[in-house]
Amino acid sequence: MDSFIQEIRGLFGKNEDFFLLQDYVSDAPVVLLGFKTLLDLTKTKSVLYKNIESMLSAGKSSEEILFNIGEVKEKDIKMATSTLLEGKLIILIENSKKYIVFEPVPKSLNRSVQSPENENVLQGALNSFTEDIDTNIGIMRKQLITTDLFVQSFTTGKNQKRKISLLYLESQADKDLVRKIVNRIETNLDMDINNMQGLTTLMGFSSWEAISKFHTTELPFQAVHLLNKERVVLFVDQLPFAFILPNFFWDLFAMENDRNFPKPIMIAIRAVRVIGILITLISPGLYVALVAVNPEVLQIELALSIARSREGVPYPALVEIILMLLILELILEASVRLPKSIGPTITMVGGIILGQAAVEAKLVSNLLIIILAATTIANSTVVSFQNSVSIRVFKYVVVLLSAIFGILGLVAGLVLVCAYFASLNTFGFSYLYVNLKKDEMNG
Amino acid sequence: MQTPKSNKRVLLVLCMISIICTLTGCWDNRDINHRVLPLAIGISKQANEYKVILKIQVHDNETTKLKIVTQTGETISKAVDTISTNMESSVDLLHVKVIVIDKETAEDGVKDIISGFMRSREVSPKALIAICDEDIEYFFTNIKKTMTSDGTSLVENFDKGAGWDPQIALTRIWEVYRSVHSYTHDVAIPIIISGKSTSIEHIGSAIIKNGKMVERIDNDETLLFNAFKGESTHGQIEVMTNASVLIIGNSMNIKSKMNGKQPLMEGKVNLKVVILETRGDPSRKFIKKELNAHLSKRFSHMFEKTQKSEADILALGQYFRTHIPRSELKSWRTEYYPNLKMNIQFQIDIQNEGYLKTL
Repeated sequence: MDSFIQEIRGLFGKNEDFFLLQDYVSDAPVVLLGFKTLLDLTKTKSVLYKNIESMLSAGKSSEEILFNIGEVKEKDIKMATSTLLEGKLIILIENSKKYIVFEPVPKSLNRSVQSPENENVLQGALNSFTEDIDTNIGIMRKQLITTDLFVQSFTTGKNQKRKISLLYLESQADKDLVRKIVNRIETNLDMDINNMQGLTTLMGFSSWEAISKFHTTELPFQAVHLLNKERVVLFVDQLPFAFILPNFFWDLFAMENDRNFPKPIMIAIRAVRVIGILITLISPGLYVALVAVNPEVLQIELALSIARSREGVPYPALVEIILMLLILELILEASVRLPKSIGPTITMVGGIILGQAAVEAKLVSNLLIIILAATTIANSTVVSFQNSVSIRVFKYVVVLLSAIFGILGLVAGLVLVCAYFASLNTFGFSYLYVNLKKDEMNG
Repeated sequence: MQTPKSNKRVLLVLCMISIICTLTGCWDNRDINHRVLPLAIGISKQANEYKVILKIQVHDNETTKLKIVTQTGETISKAVDTISTNMESSVDLLHVKVIVIDKETAEDGVKDIISGFMRSREVSPKALIAICDEDIEYFFTNIKKTMTSDGTSLVENFDKGAGWDPQIALTRIWEVYRSVHSYTHDVAIPIIISGKSTSIEHIGSAIIKNGKMVERIDNDETLLFNAFKGESTHGQIEVMTNASVLIIGNSMNIKSKMNGKQPLMEGKVNLKVVILETRGDPSRKFIKKELNAHLSKRFSHMFEKTQKSEADILALGQYFRTHIPRSELKSWRTEYYPNLKMNIQFQIDIQNEGYLKTL
């Protein structure tokens, strides 16, 4: 008994927030163990005493009380430490080989459920996932009131424990997919998962893919919808979004929230997103191809006005556009880094003033600024920020090929991007797979 | 974990990327502002040399000025090359939309010029050809004065979306090239001169046979020629002694027959017209009759002209390709076409009488 306490004290004794208190349950001497920072000690104790009192008044003996108060476990140092780190209270009975795990009143360390930060929702459910995995699963359960929903949890990590939960609908999800994912997680249980890259390695995907294998979303509404579409959802504790497997091309354009609009509007909105992607990919490349390689394709009036706007520009079109694209990427990155109050200032300085000044100083042509603005705006129409970043990368491939081969290069670039999309594959599901089940068609 | 195999693959990809950089020759690409894009090119053959005139836009701080550059050379490309050498930007003929050839050169034959353009591909085969009935240098200096600053008006005159009218023949380089090599197909090329108030004036079309100008037809006959080609006569005013009408649609029906060695042809042209102006009170019937007679007369006049010059600009020979053996087809222009009997009828349909119901 004493050796058990000694051992735990050896592990945690140096921590200021670790406590070890002598106490009594009715007349039996016990020791309470836990972390002050993870549980509310005063409240927990009062709950504990109330429990004991009510059982005492029912005429139970101290032994019975102890065994009914919480989960009784055999002494095992490994189990005990992880229980403590999860924020539970341990009640050690002196001179016994058992200890009791008591469910304490936790310190509230999580933010409440708020509206989404990264994905804006128009006319739709506004709650979003938070860091706490149990809250997230709770939200899902609340939205999916069915016996069909299964939640499987795993604790991964060798040194740093982290909880992963797998959610799927028994009747919908592909059995094979679920089996493969569970297999993967179970074989790699001792990996430390702290982020999406960690999860990617855990799943055994290549970490060099430009497009994530996971579709990430903050919106429970979206996650529930995808569960209904044969997908599975993964939650990682302390990451406030759902990882949805597999990720499909159509997810670039479709959001479940679109269905809160009339169908023609929904189709129009999605068409706008498709056009957005095409403009993002094509317009910078087209500019380079038309200005530098194939001016014969242009209408003559346009050719003349472009030639006029480029008069005095010192750099070739490729250098010009790469330069401005780089500045644009810097602005985007800077506005992410900056506090919200300063963000708009940077946008203004970067976008308007810098662009205008660059044109007036004859560093770049007017048309290029228009192209860049169109590209950036179009880029943001894509669903989910993660996807828009990927598309941003592909744009450069198209620009480079266009600079070399002109219009032909532009087309080749698009073919290349399409071929890359086609080459992606998640657990046997092609990235270009389109789920056309009947309920999807009926909207 | 990198296996040797995937290392090799990375190396291969790197090699391919560096090959792209070295093999494409993309450093020869010139940006659009370093190219001179002439819209029109004038060609005149003088003695043994070609005189080439380029109409060029020069950008000068917000404004665009027109510049006429002249050079002579033994070949057209040599002359263009000399201009390119002397100018600060390289001359790029990609955007040439109109090629103006002077009349003497056209009468002498444009076969070599056209073949040259088709061969080099520097000028788009879609570029239009026009014949200039005055000294070509005089023509270009004159239109420079009357032209808008961006200098596209010469082109817009021939643009179907802008200033084109059905009295103007539209003939492209490839069509002239085809006519040079076809047994049964000739073309008409518009004839222009510089105008006084407008920048150019159309004075009819030249009949080109085997790349040589042999005869000319006036604007009204060109209209019929266009109607025959199915080029929409839409928006066209037809003046008679008693009324003027607007043609709003035309279709054509042709039957061909051989009687021994004599080709026979029945043609029916359906015209849908709208009445614009009348003088006096002619009846519907009268207008129809008048119009019919007028058009038939005008057509037969043009037709006789082409028969005399043995140039089949209406491409009637195309209808006899199934009747005449290939070996004989060669002599279509000389033997068959002058003997062709054409019976053409104009079917006139007055679609409406405007807002006045007093016909």
